[in-house]
This record gives sequence, C-alpha cells and structure tokens, in this order.
Amino acid sequence: MILFEVVLSGVLVGGMYGLIALGLNLQYGIARMMNLAYGEALMGGAYTAFWFFMLWRIDPLASMLFSVPVAFCGNWLIYRYLLSPLIRRAANQEILEADTILVTFGLLFVFQGLALVQWGGEYRGYTYLAVPIDLLGATVALNRLMAFVAAVVLALALYWLLRSTRLGGALRAIAIDPVAAQLVAVDVPRLSALAFAAGGAIMAAAGTLVSMFLSFNASIGIVYTLKALIVVIMGGVGRMLGCLMAGLLLGLAEALGAYLVDPGLTLAINFALFLLVLLVRPQGLFSRG
Amino acid sequence: MQRRTVLKGGASLIGAGSLPTIARAQAPKSIRIGYAVALSGPYAPGAQSTTWSQYKLWAKDVNDAGGIMLKKYGAKVPVELIDYDDRSQIEEAIRLVERLILNDKVDLVLAPWGTATNLATAPVFNKYEYPVIHFTASADRVAQLGPRWPYSFWALVQPKPATAPLATMVKKLTTEGKIKGRVAIMHVADQLGVEMAAAMQEACKKEGVEIVYFKSYPLGASDLSPQIREMMALNPDAFFAFSYPSDTFMVTEQSHVLGFSPPIYYTGVGTPFPAYAAKFGAKKNGVLIYGAVDSTAPGQKEYRERHKAMYNRDVEIGSIGTYATMQILQKAIEQVGEIDRKKIRDAIAGGTFETIADVYSFKGQLHQNAWAVGQWQGDEVVAVYPENKRGAKPLMFPKPKW
Repeated sequence: MILFEVVLSGVLVGGMYGLIALGLNLQYGIARMMNLAYGEALMGGAYTAFWFFMLWRIDPLASMLFSVPVAFCGNWLIYRYLLSPLIRRAANQEILEADTILVTFGLLFVFQGLALVQWGGEYRGYTYLAVPIDLLGATVALNRLMAFVAAVVLALALYWLLRSTRLGGALRAIAIDPVAAQLVAVDVPRLSALAFAAGGAIMAAAGTLVSMFLSFNASIGIVYTLKALIVVIMGGVGRMLGCLMAGLLLGLAEALGAYLVDPGLTLAINFALFLLVLLVRPQGLFSRG
Repeated sequence: MQRRTVLKGGASLIGAGSLPTIARAQAPKSIRIGYAVALSGPYAPGAQSTTWSQYKLWAKDVNDAGGIMLKKYGAKVPVELIDYDDRSQIEEAIRLVERLILNDKVDLVLAPWGTATNLATAPVFNKYEYPVIHFTASADRVAQLGPRWPYSFWALVQPKPATAPLATMVKKLTTEGKIKGRVAIMHVADQLGVEMAAAMQEACKKEGVEIVYFKSYPLGASDLSPQIREMMALNPDAFFAFSYPSDTFMVTEQSHVLGFSPPIYYTGVGTPFPAYAAKFGAKKNGVLIYGAVDSTAPGQKEYRERHKAMYNRDVEIGSIGTYATMQILQKAIEQVGEIDRKKIRDAIAGGTFETIADVYSFKGQLHQNAWAVGQWQGDEVVAVYPENKRGAKPLMFPKPKW
C-alpha cells in the first residue's frame, strides 16, 4: 500500500515538473529562444497569487485572470523589443543563442532584483486547498492534484494544437526551419512572438498552482528554469507529450528512489537519469529526430 | 641656561595648553563599519531578512541617538556603514572582506550570513585581527577552532547543545510514561542539517532513546510525502526535522494533509518566521523550534516596534539575535572608549552583555548556555530550553492535534 502511495506522489510531482517545462518547450522548442529568465514568470505568478490572497482574499485561481494575461503581454514585449533585434543582427543560430542567453541572463537579475526590492527576500507561502483527497485508497493533497491535472490537460491541448490545427502546423514549421517557413508564407516573427508569450503565460499559471503547495521567494525563478530545462532536454525539444512523460519519469524516479534507496539520493538519481538520456538519446526520449 | 629653561617652560606651556584641544579635535568624524552580505543569489532572502536589515536598523538607532560614546574623546561618534553584496558566493565574500580591511580601511567589520560563509571568512578576520561576532553560523567545529581564531565569537547555539535538551526531553517524557519514546529524525543534506542530525543521534544514544527513522533528503526537494508515509507506518511519537525554510513549510503542510501529528513535533530553520505564522495560523500551536530568544528581555518590545516601523513587517528570532550581537559590539566599544580592536576583542571576551535577545557571555569565544529550543505557544514564540534560564517557559505537551 505504501508503495502505491509513493508511486502516486511521484506521479503528482512529475506532473508538476511537466507543467513547469511546457512553457519553456514553447519558448525554446518553437520560438527558439533559450530564456534564462523563464522562471521569473513563475515567481511573478506566485507573488500575484500570494498578494491577491493575503491582501484582498481573492481566490488564487482567480488571480490567474490577472497574472496570466500580464505574463503573456510582458513576454510578448520582451520578445518584440529585446529579442527580435538580436534575431535581426545575428549571423547564425549559434550567435543568436549566445546573445539570447546573455540578454535573458541579465533579465533574470533585473526581475529578481525588482522583486527583492519590492517584496523583500523572505519566504512566502499561504494555505489553499491543502485538503486530503482520497484517490484509490491513497491520500493526496487537492492542490497538488490540481497542478497535476492542469499539466495533463495543458500538455494534451498543446499536443492537439500542434498536431491538428493550421496554426500548429505553422508553429511546427518554424520549429523545424524558420527560414523555410518564411518561404511558404508563415508569418515567422508574429507566430514566434505568440509562442514565446504563450510560454511565459503558461509559466505564470504554473506559478499560481505551485505557490499553493510550495513556499517561494524572490530568487526562486532560476531553480525552476533549470528544472524545466532538464525536463525539456530529456523529453525532446518541441515535444509536448514527451515533456509531460519526462516530467513523470523524473517524479517517479525521485519518489521511488527516496522510498526504496535513500531520500538523500533523489537529486543524484535525477541527474543520473538526465546523464543517461544525454548519453543514450541526446535528441530526447520522445523525439523522432 | 636660563633662556633654555624659559624656552622649555614655554614649550611645555604651549604643549599643556593645546593638549586637550588636540585630543578633542581628534575624535573621528565617524566609526566606519564594513560588511559583505548576500543581497542577490540564493542566500539573499535569508541574508536580507536576518542580517542586512538588522545592521541597517542598528545603525539608524545608534545615529538617531547621536552615535556611539567614545570616552577617549569625550564625544559621541556616529557610525557609517560600508556595504557590499557578496552575491551568495563564498570566494566573493572573502575578497570583499579583504577589500574592506585593506582598501577601505574600515574601523570594524561585521559578520556575513550563513554557516559556510562565516566559516570561510573567519580566517580573514583573524588574520587582520578584526573582532567579529558571528551569528548565523552553527557548526560543532567552531569549538575547536577557538584558540586559532581568537577574534571570532560565536553567538548562536551550536549543534550539540541545540540537540541535547531534545533527547533529554524525550527521555523524561518516556520515563513519565507520557510517550513511548519512538523518535523519527529527518534532515536536509546540507551542513547544518547533517551536523544537527548527527548531534541528535549521538544525544539519543547517550540517553538511551530509540530512533526508529533516520534519513536525509536533498536541499530543494519538492515532495516529502513518501518520507512522511514511511514514518507514519513506524508510528513514532516524537518527530524532529532539521530543515531549511522551504522544506520546513513543506513538511508541515504535508503532515497536515496526511494526518501525521505526533505529540512532539520539531522543525528547523523557518519555523519562527512571520510567514510560517501567516500560513499555518492556529495549527502552529505547540510546534517546537530550533533556537529561541528570551521574549521578556528588556528593550525587545521597543525593538519590535522600531523594526515594524522601518520594514513594515514582523520580526523573527534570528533577526533579534543578530541585533543583539550589534548591541554587544556597541557595549564593548563604549567600554573601551576608542577604536582599538585588540581592546574591543578583550572586552567582548571578558564581558557579560544584557541584550534584547539574551544575556551573553563568551567562554572560549563561544556563547555559553545559549537558547536551544523554542516553541509556538499561541501566537508567540517562547523559549523552552535550557529550562534554567531567565525567561524560560514550561514545555507545552502534548502538541494539540492539527
């Protein structure tokens, strides 16, 4: 019975990993921007939920009506005014990648610094939907279950969007070859900006959900950026279901490792798995390329 | 011959006449105090709320009162802070401390934030003979380093004295038949967690207390429910987590959800934070805490008000302790009456200091009989162990069910 409960908590944590990686997959996999300030959207979503809840007793889920559009517009502006000039002047993809990493690395400190000045450095957290739910005889927290469901729904929706719609086809074309996509009348700058902005918006939503069960502070963003990056690379850049699967795999490995081997080794198991994937399938577990 | 005497007399007259004026004029414009703490990077949150904010508040309090009295000049001299950001990097902290001492030529330096950074910069302070009272540092090793680092003082409770009362408490409750005395220990795999857990294990062994669970988890873990479930299956009645803030919050919430509520429940760093109280409300009642301050200490109430006015937020006990180290430094300076680092060091080493947190006295540069264990009782953090100290309140047992 304990084993089943352990597997279940692993699956829930894995879903959260998948959720935080989906947005980065849009930004890096489709818009081709390695955004190191990606996690700051999560920090923003988490703070919005926290302050709305603490100051005005607004439901954290409702706070997404504010934080998600703001993150969308903010990320769109970043893409349009900070990253687009880099695309125009870069001679090739390598130079572009180096430039964006430097710019977004700087952005990371700007956002982190602003949050530190504004809200101070202390840990924040609130209690919302921390109620036990009986799931097939095991007890799980409702807030964690919700993050998991959101991850699955979002991953399926994105998968469907990319596979079965005209817009998705255009986005996939950009992911494969932005120059060729332009030749077949895909509006590359506009759609890339859209994918980038949507990635940020998803991360803000993830921030809201994660803030319900994990505490956070002004410098938490980079932690999630790195975690998301591992998941994206493991699952395959641009693969939405792969991303979810990789997240689940990591979560399960952590929980089972903690229970069967030793909790102190979860991080080691995580990175061992990542190394293994890099060695055996460097293109990602669920990539056809 | 006569002329000479007259000249001599004249010279000495001039000398005597001008002596007091020279001495008065020589009082420095300010006492320059430098420090490097983390204002960015992963240490920034802790450093800002516990350390940096207290240095600023103390400087404001001192200067509002006109400065620190230096007897030698018969004048109050204001303090001037020179601060650097070590960006949570230990090498940077060491470089900046040297820079403060060699380039900025500050009069005094203050401690950085965190056990690792304090241990790494201590050799520099001692090399240049700058007295420093370390607060946010706890490692049993410092007891042995005392003779090698005569300028470093350690004000926080160290792992062995921090955990010994816990084992004694479990032993006593077991003998009284109130609990079965089955202890579960989990700790974060970081220096403080490892040292505390090892010290606790040793203390339990000494008291003959049974440990049914003893495991670590990595820093930044995002789920501790498998561990909690495993512990629940072992049915412990005393739970100790030597944890850091984010895991303290997480393990507490997950214990609520899973219904893990042993009558003794102890968590580490973060438990006394205002954010913890805001998050858990009445459920915090009865939870035991790593470290404490004497809530009846003179001046603490006024300090809390000044803190609230400056930062618009409540204070946690680590901040109170840090502010207390500044009071010790100030009293030592006033006692010496000038900026003579050797004499200031000796004043700290030999004195007894009443502060807003505790009465401090150092032996082998280690604060003796420091507060080890606190407890949430109602909406207040009270000091529980050592129980023979002024301000100690009796243990609330059992912790109410969540």
